[in-house]
Amino acid sequence: MGEIVFAAGVPHAPSLVGLFERAPAGVQEVVRASYDALAAGLRAARPDVIIIFANDHITNNRISAYPDFLIGTGDTHRGPFEWFKEWIGCRDWQARGDRKVADALFRGMTRRGIRMFAADDLKFDDNISVPVVMTDLDASGIPIVPVMQNCTVPPLPEQERCYEVGRALRDIIEREMPAGLRVALIGSGGLSHEPGGSRYYLIDEKFDRWFLDLCCAGDHERVLKELTFDRMEASGSGGTCELLAWVVIMGAIGKCRGKSFGYAGHVDFRCGFGAVIWDLASAKLAA
Amino acid sequence: MRIKDYDPTLASHDLIQDLKWDKSLRQRFQQHEASVLDLYRLRPEERRAIEARDFGALYDMGLHPYLGGQLSRLIYGNDAGKGAILAVNKLVESLKGR
Repeated sequence: MGEIVFAAGVPHAPSLVGLFERAPAGVQEVVRASYDALAAGLRAARPDVIIIFANDHITNNRISAYPDFLIGTGDTHRGPFEWFKEWIGCRDWQARGDRKVADALFRGMTRRGIRMFAADDLKFDDNISVPVVMTDLDASGIPIVPVMQNCTVPPLPEQERCYEVGRALRDIIEREMPAGLRVALIGSGGLSHEPGGSRYYLIDEKFDRWFLDLCCAGDHERVLKELTFDRMEASGSGGTCELLAWVVIMGAIGKCRGKSFGYAGHVDFRCGFGAVIWDLASAKLAA
Repeated sequence: MRIKDYDPTLASHDLIQDLKWDKSLRQRFQQHEASVLDLYRLRPEERRAIEARDFGALYDMGLHPYLGGQLSRLIYGNDAGKGAILAVNKLVESLKGR
């Protein structure tokens, strides 16, 4: 029986790296505090593997044959993919994969009626690259299993389905992964943003703070009822739906209180920023 | 355009994906754009919109906005330090000009 030992949600906007130095001090402090807490929390949890759900951004497949979930089964993962390097402005990274965990995930989801796909050699943009370099995850030596999620190409798995995927993820970890395996979960994406839209510079601070508050309160009923596709689209078309990666993690961990490390709505980032680390012990208390 | 209104049959989507994935095609696009456009089954109005940098028209035809943002970066620059600001502004200008 495996165990979830850490869970967090965090944005991955490329400008968090490329434009970080030019951001106001207060914005830098929020980003740094959030990612430092993520890095420290991950290491303190001593995970054997980190499973990261993140928007694929139409990076690995054509729009005409687009999977909702694509598991990275490779022994090694590298990024960023060539075209994204100058856009993100981050260093190259390489992290170990975990084929056994990835295969167990693929097998387990399939047997639970959840269609996923798998591939060894995935292309990564900011979705995985930003969390990796901002936490020096590659230097930690902890293997990662990336799961590229369709948060952009409708029809896509919406909040209820993503929560079900999360519940299945927990079941697989607890029933089908090796005894004693310590698993960290990260939902990478959000907050409000509209990449490629006429409101490219939109940041919906009211929405972002509302969402972060729900995450911190562990109010999953409201998340499932109110975090609809249309609600996210209103706060940034084609970008804000990345929060569905967080919903997968919420489904896996159950109702937990969470901690946020501040909020930054910096227009040059073209994305609202705020992260949450969930207190897994609070779920055990509630149970 | 809302993302749910995109048209998955639009050939521009494949053009943009290939430009992202293939550095040599990207270089050819920058030097001889027409020869690259010839490789795809673009509708006449779709090709004219790409040549005119008319993102609004492409979105009206069903170009997915996320790939539209990437097409703008493929044309106007992808530089992180500048936040691809020229590409973003050119795109927004085209979309709001309609």
